[in-house]
Amino acid sequence: MKEGLYQYANSKALTRRRLLQGATALGGFAAMGGLSALPARAQEDLRAQLLAIPGVGNGSPTEADWQKVGELCLGATKTNVAEGEFAGVELTFFGINNNGLHNILFRGLLKGWETYTGAKINWIDLAQADYNPRLQQSIATGTVDFDILAMGAPLEGDTAGQGLLDEMPDWVKTQIDMDDYVSYLKAPVGTWAGKTYRITIDGDCHTFAYRKDYFGDGAISGMAEAPTTWQQVQTVSQAVAGQTDPLTGSPAYGYLDPLKGWGGFGFYFLEDRASAYAKHPDDPAWLFDADTMKPRVNNPAWVQAIQDVMDTMAVLPPDQINADPGTTGFQQFLAGTGSMLCWWGDIGSNARTSDTSVVGDVIGFSINPGSDKVYNSKTSAWETPATPNFAPNMAFLGWGVYVTNRVSADEVKRKAAWSAAAHLGGKDLSLWMAAYPSGFQPYRNSHFMYDEWAAAGYDKDFVADYLGSNADSYNHPNAAIEPRIPGIFQYYSVAEDELAKGYAGTYASAQETADAIAAAWEKITDQIGRDSQIALYKASLGL
Amino acid sequence: MSGGDLLHVVTNDDISKGRRAFGRALIWGSGALMLLVGLAQWAQLEGISSFGFPNWRPTLYAYCLWATCLCWGQVLINGEQGKRTLFVLPAALFVISLTVFPLLFGMVIAFSNWNLSNPDGRQFNGLDNVRQMLADPFYWNAMGNMVWYCAAILVEYAIAFALALALNAEIRARKFFRVAFLLPLMLSPVAVSWMIGKSMLVIQPAGPIIRLMRTLGWENPSFYSSPWMAKLTIMMMDAWTYIPFMMIMILAGLQSIPKELNEAAKVDGANPWRAFWEVTFPLMLPVSITAILIRIIFKLKLADIVIAVTSGGPGGATDTVTSFIFREYRDRSNVGYGTLLAMVYLVIIIIAMTALMKLAERYARPRT
Repeated sequence: MKEGLYQYANSKALTRRRLLQGATALGGFAAMGGLSALPARAQEDLRAQLLAIPGVGNGSPTEADWQKVGELCLGATKTNVAEGEFAGVELTFFGINNNGLHNILFRGLLKGWETYTGAKINWIDLAQADYNPRLQQSIATGTVDFDILAMGAPLEGDTAGQGLLDEMPDWVKTQIDMDDYVSYLKAPVGTWAGKTYRITIDGDCHTFAYRKDYFGDGAISGMAEAPTTWQQVQTVSQAVAGQTDPLTGSPAYGYLDPLKGWGGFGFYFLEDRASAYAKHPDDPAWLFDADTMKPRVNNPAWVQAIQDVMDTMAVLPPDQINADPGTTGFQQFLAGTGSMLCWWGDIGSNARTSDTSVVGDVIGFSINPGSDKVYNSKTSAWETPATPNFAPNMAFLGWGVYVTNRVSADEVKRKAAWSAAAHLGGKDLSLWMAAYPSGFQPYRNSHFMYDEWAAAGYDKDFVADYLGSNADSYNHPNAAIEPRIPGIFQYYSVAEDELAKGYAGTYASAQETADAIAAAWEKITDQIGRDSQIALYKASLGL
Repeated sequence: MSGGDLLHVVTNDDISKGRRAFGRALIWGSGALMLLVGLAQWAQLEGISSFGFPNWRPTLYAYCLWATCLCWGQVLINGEQGKRTLFVLPAALFVISLTVFPLLFGMVIAFSNWNLSNPDGRQFNGLDNVRQMLADPFYWNAMGNMVWYCAAILVEYAIAFALALALNAEIRARKFFRVAFLLPLMLSPVAVSWMIGKSMLVIQPAGPIIRLMRTLGWENPSFYSSPWMAKLTIMMMDAWTYIPFMMIMILAGLQSIPKELNEAAKVDGANPWRAFWEVTFPLMLPVSITAILIRIIFKLKLADIVIAVTSGGPGGATDTVTSFIFREYRDRSNVGYGTLLAMVYLVIIIIAMTALMKLAERYARPRT
């Protein structure tokens, strides 16, 4: 759960009456299982019990709450590990400490596990900005000094691709109920060359957020409904230029493209546009040719996406050339500037909670826009499908917990490491992490049972709209999955530099800009090693 | 030993042959051990044989042992003279360890293809990085920008001088203004970037300077859209932060000028303007040149404001060499090429600063 959404729920704290209603509903729901379904009822009781720690409206969870949740969720561990089985085992856990969560939260959640198993965990806490350089340096200098690793899937190429991870034992797969994962987080994500390495603890994707007051009868866009394709988005952006924003009275703007780099993360926002044009339903690859690693970033689909950005630059807010995604999301869209953008779940969770947000009551969500045409790289031709081509951008793929091969030779230590990781990725514990501030978003199908959220005190309509767009993206059959190859952020970073030149007019056209990116990508591929990149790219696509 | 040296000897050395031999054995023995450990480490690294050395720590420990033995050996072999050596030797070894050795190691990296994502690790690639640098438009664009950034120091200097003169004069609340003018220097450039560069100049529609500009008739105020405007905005923010530094140096210089000189000029009939150019400015030349040289060194390291506010944009217009190296090294894990760029920049800085100091020495010499 993003912290902001929880704060919002807190501000709409449960009344005693609503709490009783929720408890009654849950109780009734549990009772419907009858005596013949005792394990199922126990499970539901546990989930209801977890969602009541500390209870929406009772402030942010404390260290004591985290420990309590961890202890309540030990059932799955106990089926595979005897009490005290890991006495004397020490493990090192590598991760970030953003906002006092992540590793800090894991400490509390694993406290009961440590007490029960007898193992001890040492922690390597890193600031977000230091995480990747530290990880890359550890890998490059052969000084991997950790047994358990919290990591985003895009870095699987740098770790699993180099044989640094330990394969997940079968008992772990059963313990964490991997079938419950949303579609896009199932294999090949989390796997490498057919082997499974990742316990998912988070889901990430971009969704489309729009201002409902720009659409409808008499709205300034002239459209009854929010756009569903990029062609419509372009039309709206041009149509509202020069008009007045119905909410703030300031100039109205359409879709907000962030035109400034963001340490590589800014490239995801061009991907939002490009995926609809470039991700063909019959082809898992959309950034490179899988057989040659030849960049597709300068094919007509990507050039169209860059051209779309260039076409609307004139109707963007002043200084947009210096607006990074953070500025676009939080200082523009949430503050009432602009009517449409693609972003991670933070926009939804902050819309009604941030002090600077003015759009909480007029915001709507859907999956990323599609396109009336899609480029087929295999035939090198545009196609016009019967219905628009949608390809939601699964940007960053979420956090997971991995075990390194430092423990592979020691069976006890290996089991301990996987047990700790499985505890964090457990089905019930994950529900609590999805519902309370943890820094992680829902990622299991069982997280999208909105009645559970409503019973816990959340506004069902808003949660259904906001989380529904995530669920629809996660489970989309043509989701654009990020390639998990080594150095993926190097490609993104250099693309940002070249795009900046293109947007500033240094290059003559979108095609020239795209060609410059492609040339830079070829250099990176050659530097990292083309053959190995091809093999790893194919592996990441499950080919 | 000469008679002069004997004056400073506080103990009478009577060093036995055995002691000398032990001292030499200590130095050579520990040196040989360090060499052996280093060779074993290298053999392990090359996969020739395995000695159970997972990292370079054994070699580091062997180096520390050798350094200690070297120092001890000086005393054993040379007695009192050796003790004198100990005043310098540890510091010299420390400098070699932490400056010279990393510099040499950096040179090795600079001529390597070392992308941290390459599974094969570092590979020597001769002059490839140099060739890439020569053809790299981003690097030379950043270098060109540095010329403009450094040229802006002259304007900063003029403002700093004017402020220093004002604060040196008998004005009201002088102490308050001295502290107030120093405040920007106390702020982190990153804080300045966010407070001014983003909150005041970018955020729409609430940025106060944006609103002020609109009130003044600038319809769509924009500080980063055009290359020159963006460059000027960065220059102004950097200047706002560092002008107080130059000002405080010049102020200290002004206060050290004897008042009698200006009074004498006044008695001779010089007006304030003439007195400034004939007395104050020439006397301030050494301080001014020092302030400008230090400011140039600061300016050549300019990166934080650029990284935080523009990321070098639009289209590289505000990029600095350091911010480009930051992206190349940190965002793209391109260690070999990034190191070469830094090394070349270091050499250019050393040459430029040496030339500037020579020139400064010539022009700052008091006129006779």
